[in-house]
Amino acid sequence: MLDQILSVLLLGAVVSAIYALVAIGFTMIFGVGGVLNLAHGGLIMFGAYAYVVLTSSSVVGAIAVPPAAGFVIAVIATALASYALYAGLVRYIEDNVVITFLSTVMVALLLTNLIHYRFGANPQGTPSVLSGSLHLEGFGTRIGYMYILGFVLSWITIGLLWYYVTQTDEGRSILATSMSERGAQLTGVNLLSVKSRTWLIAGAFAGIAGVILGTVEPTTPQMWLNPLANAFIIVVIGGIGSIKGSVVAAYLIGYLQQFTTEFIGQGYVGIPSLIVLVAVLLLLPEGLYGREFAHE
Amino acid sequence: MSSETGRSSGIASRISGAAGRAGGAALDRLTTVTGPINRVLQPLANVYNRLIGGYFGEMNGLQFVLVVGTLVGLLTAPFWGNYALIQAMIAASIWAILAMGWDIQSGYTGYISFGHSVLSGGAGYTTAMLIHNVNPELPMLVTIPVSVLAALGIGLLIALPSLRLSGPYFSLITFVAVLIFYRMMNPLSEYTGGETGLAGVEKIFDITEPVQSYYLFLLPMLAVAVALLIVARSNIGLILLAIRENESAVEAAGINATKFKIWSFMLSSIPMGIGGVLLAHRFGGVDPGSFIVVDNSIEMIAMAVVGGMGSILGPLGGAFFIILMEDIVLHAFGLDAQLRWAILWIIVLLILVFARQGLFRKLWYGLERLGGDRR
Repeated sequence: MLDQILSVLLLGAVVSAIYALVAIGFTMIFGVGGVLNLAHGGLIMFGAYAYVVLTSSSVVGAIAVPPAAGFVIAVIATALASYALYAGLVRYIEDNVVITFLSTVMVALLLTNLIHYRFGANPQGTPSVLSGSLHLEGFGTRIGYMYILGFVLSWITIGLLWYYVTQTDEGRSILATSMSERGAQLTGVNLLSVKSRTWLIAGAFAGIAGVILGTVEPTTPQMWLNPLANAFIIVVIGGIGSIKGSVVAAYLIGYLQQFTTEFIGQGYVGIPSLIVLVAVLLLLPEGLYGREFAHE
Repeated sequence: MSSETGRSSGIASRISGAAGRAGGAALDRLTTVTGPINRVLQPLANVYNRLIGGYFGEMNGLQFVLVVGTLVGLLTAPFWGNYALIQAMIAASIWAILAMGWDIQSGYTGYISFGHSVLSGGAGYTTAMLIHNVNPELPMLVTIPVSVLAALGIGLLIALPSLRLSGPYFSLITFVAVLIFYRMMNPLSEYTGGETGLAGVEKIFDITEPVQSYYLFLLPMLAVAVALLIVARSNIGLILLAIRENESAVEAAGINATKFKIWSFMLSSIPMGIGGVLLAHRFGGVDPGSFIVVDNSIEMIAMAVVGGMGSILGPLGGAFFIILMEDIVLHAFGLDAQLRWAILWIIVLLILVFARQGLFRKLWYGLERLGGDRR
């Protein structure tokens, strides 16, 4: 019993860290542009496949870079893909919310079909950045080094992001835009540049999450759905647009799911999160930290 | 607002606007030819306008010919179409029901739902589960009404909590609802058949009698279309449209918008139930992959977008457009299924960006202009 609780505590922490990465990117884009980017899951998948293509020689051509370099390149590629999505499509239609999120859904499905066509439906063999796992005698469980790497990376990037949006002028302009677009404009913030930077950052976060998810879980053309659904739940609970809320809610949902898997059964994983979600919606429709500084 | 994003977002509309103007000039020149044709046909349309135009809206001669021509084409398809075409038209009929059902809720109120595959899937599963778990001998007269009622119940279950939310929150929750419903299939596999689903639903598609089977799908589709059109063209439809355009104005007029949103969800659950049951009877079984996954909802949305959201007949046309493109036109090029859908998604994206109104609404207004001056 104690073993199980300790294992939930440990695994929950690492899983939640990855959820937080996914949710932050999603929530930032909503906070700044009011855009629901349903292609965010697609970007995660893009990152995972970019990493596979770069690191394993058997997939495309004979490209095979070392895993660590592949990781970095895949993250940069995903950030650029995210920026391309904004500059090439979303920028022109973001005045209409419905059209925008329908378009991003179409992009996600387009990506799914293209990846399915090119790589097939079977999971890809993904080389680990760090292989092996840590065996914890005292806890009676083992954690892959990839999970630990994900946990550490997640907190480093969240810390960097926190520093960026609170301590630098460029970052503060992102925060300002999410509070009040008009107010930010009046103080001379360049909206286009703020939005471009937001999409780049969100893309990089999706890329990191994608590479880690791709190595700990199967890389398939359907892998974008679950992270996206978790991001939805987390973001709604935390409050759409709030970075702090996303981190808190990510840990809430991560632990809840880990607890369910350990004590109730794998098949019921989504159900308690849904109950929490409905409860939050009914009691706090804005979420835990919903738009706390926002001026509509 | 003169922000840079404001300016850039104007580009797409300017491009389509310019194309529209060029097309408009061409249309106006064509009017000299088509105007007289329209005047010849107008008396026929006037008979319709006097008799039932009040329920569905009036039309001019050219539009009348389009509607009657389409109807005749649909009804006589078994006599001129080949087997593959009939198969595709059956699928298109079912999807048209689903797309129209989606439209009366999401297209009209602007509350975009990704959860409609749960409604149709729920109805299909109810049929299969009744046959599998209760009694294999249950007649369709029992299973069909129960399944449609089940869709209604599920609709209420989703609508009551989620319609308290506005805009994007609503869409997110309906999206999550689909995933949760999908995941429930495995723990309950004793009743639902898990990943493989359930078989044993009576197939009403008979290969030896394609003509008769075709009407079993076409006629319910036409009935649903007429019923939804009457609702959509009535005051209820007007209120739903008003909710889409300005919800606070609706509230200010003393109308309870939430009540109407829930009603529209209920209203759309019925066609979703009918469509889901037909789908189950076409395949002879149900499985999560072809009934519940969120892709199904998105396909309905794509059909509605192609035809024109908020017009009922647009989604009908969109369903036939997408299914016939996928099964017949792109199939003829020998493309892989994944590639066919990829092409369709690109088409839908282009329509979303450059022709937000949808193809069939554009066609309809084009005919209106081609008809020239009505007086």
